[in-house]
Amino acid sequence: MNLLQAEWIKLSRRPLAWLLLIIFLLLMALFLGIIFLAVGLSDGVFTGGDVRMQIIPREDQLEQFRLMLRFPGIFGTVLSQVNSIGGILAIVLAAGVFGSEYSWGTLRLQLARQPRRGPYLIAKTVALLLFLLLGIGLAMLCGSLLGLFFGAVLGNSGQVSASDLLLLPWRMLRSLYVMLPYVMLTIACCVLGRSVLAGAVGGFLFLAADISVGAFSFLTSMSDTLAFIYNLLVVQQNINTLVVLNSQSYGLDPAIITRNLDLTVLPSPLQAVLVIAVYSGSFFAIAYRLFVRRDLTGAT
Amino acid sequence: MSSDSAVQTEHLTKQFKQRIAVDAVSLEVHRGEIFGFLGPNGAGKTTTIAMLLGLIRPTRGRAIVLGHDIQQEPGAALRRVGAMIEAPAFYPYLSGWNNLRVLTRAAGLPDTRIDAVLEIVELQARAHDRFRTYSQGMKQRLAIAATLLAEPELIILDEPTNGLDPAGTVELRSLIRTLAEQGQTIFLCSHQLHEVEQVCRRVAILKQGRVLAQGSVAELLQQRRRVQVRVVASAPRALELLRTVPWIGAVEQQGDLLLVDVAGSRAPEVNALLTRHDIPVAEIRTRTESLEQFFLEITGEQGC
Repeated sequence: MNLLQAEWIKLSRRPLAWLLLIIFLLLMALFLGIIFLAVGLSDGVFTGGDVRMQIIPREDQLEQFRLMLRFPGIFGTVLSQVNSIGGILAIVLAAGVFGSEYSWGTLRLQLARQPRRGPYLIAKTVALLLFLLLGIGLAMLCGSLLGLFFGAVLGNSGQVSASDLLLLPWRMLRSLYVMLPYVMLTIACCVLGRSVLAGAVGGFLFLAADISVGAFSFLTSMSDTLAFIYNLLVVQQNINTLVVLNSQSYGLDPAIITRNLDLTVLPSPLQAVLVIAVYSGSFFAIAYRLFVRRDLTGAT
Repeated sequence: MSSDSAVQTEHLTKQFKQRIAVDAVSLEVHRGEIFGFLGPNGAGKTTTIAMLLGLIRPTRGRAIVLGHDIQQEPGAALRRVGAMIEAPAFYPYLSGWNNLRVLTRAAGLPDTRIDAVLEIVELQARAHDRFRTYSQGMKQRLAIAATLLAEPELIILDEPTNGLDPAGTVELRSLIRTLAEQGQTIFLCSHQLHEVEQVCRRVAILKQGRVLAQGSVAELLQQRRRVQVRVVASAPRALELLRTVPWIGAVEQQGDLLLVDVAGSRAPEVNALLTRHDIPVAEIRTRTESLEQFFLEITGEQGC
């Protein structure tokens, strides 16, 4: 607990952490603003000028856009943003948090006083996850405020049931869980390369590779066996399952918005949870083993 | 292993691939003493310190810190150790006070210790400024404050006077003496040989990973005392004579001055020998070397 408090002081006072959070909130607001504009133009809310939409969404897509701005759909919209832009920023934050301990030489300062390296790494990781959870909470708050504003302008805010609110923390945790493989891999790369750069490069390369493998998703339609293997190897497929689950739980249908998303080939939620756990656990185990066993050499 | 020792190493060795950074180093630092750990750059001082702090695992040998094997019981060994390794390393975006708070929280110490140690290093006025705005001397002071947080029994200081102005250096020297008087053991690693000579009772000198000399400063310098003889117009003859004497080591001629490698206590015998051979002696005395001269001589360095 002492270690966790120390890590929280470091993280919660770090300008990089808040800067990344602000960037995320701005990008999320921009995304919601664009959806709002599309809905407003289509519904004739904005008048008084010669404004035309160049790309007219289909009616079912437009209906999805409306749901995305209303309660409880806005919750699903925020969570899907957390798992897209938020995931990228989480890699940057994880690389900064773990890698800079090496580049600043502060790791030697810490471990010369606190030789239990395992608990130190765990405390640092837990503090990072708590900060990410705080970020998701703040994103949810900002999204809700924007939802109220959009509802006031568009004339329909929607309705939030008690179960929507009660299940919100659980779904926020699911969003956090979805980010774990990339965050854990970034931590492992930081420890391996002893730098911020190694962590960021490792995290982004994995992200890029995992998404690129999506090009082979046609394999899933060829046979059940191929689909099973593909879904075991590709983390993104399993992430998609949980992200879709979050959206669907708020009445959204991502398949309507993203035409090439075939929900039928996604793995089951149970498989998704297990695959993500195996990947995240493996990456963290590598980081842990390296961190605990390796010498802390070199000049600061 | 002696219970009187704050630090004891036995054949401590670290090999990085083909390079042996520390080679069978055996040290003994007594409790309550100020011990100087000297050596040219790359001698293996920081690697040795890192092994004492459990940051680097020895390839062979072992280190006992405050009665605990650093490999077997790192927590117990380091609980009462304060260490400053190389340059002061802190979080640049945190204030000095918050940097120390991170350390007190991690160690479960009360925050009152922060103010106490900041007062010792006279950094209270800038305690709430960000670390990145500190001068080198202030960073060094903060690092020293950090070593004192846990009221350590053993303090390891690696180049503590780097960046300090002359007044700061004098203050630090005084602080080190005060801490030693209070019973704390100081393991001082420094290039400032003059500094070390003033505060340390015992030293070890390291070169290329090996201990070249270890012992009390007085004893080491006593061993290196040489007799200096000034003769009148007979230097070549005196040189020839002294070189034939078995109990005399090397003899070096510098004009009419002969430097005779022999214990200072044997100066009267040298004098008697020269007089017996009708070589007039104008002056004979023992020459005491400084620690710096001693260091340069045994390490073969031009300067450090």
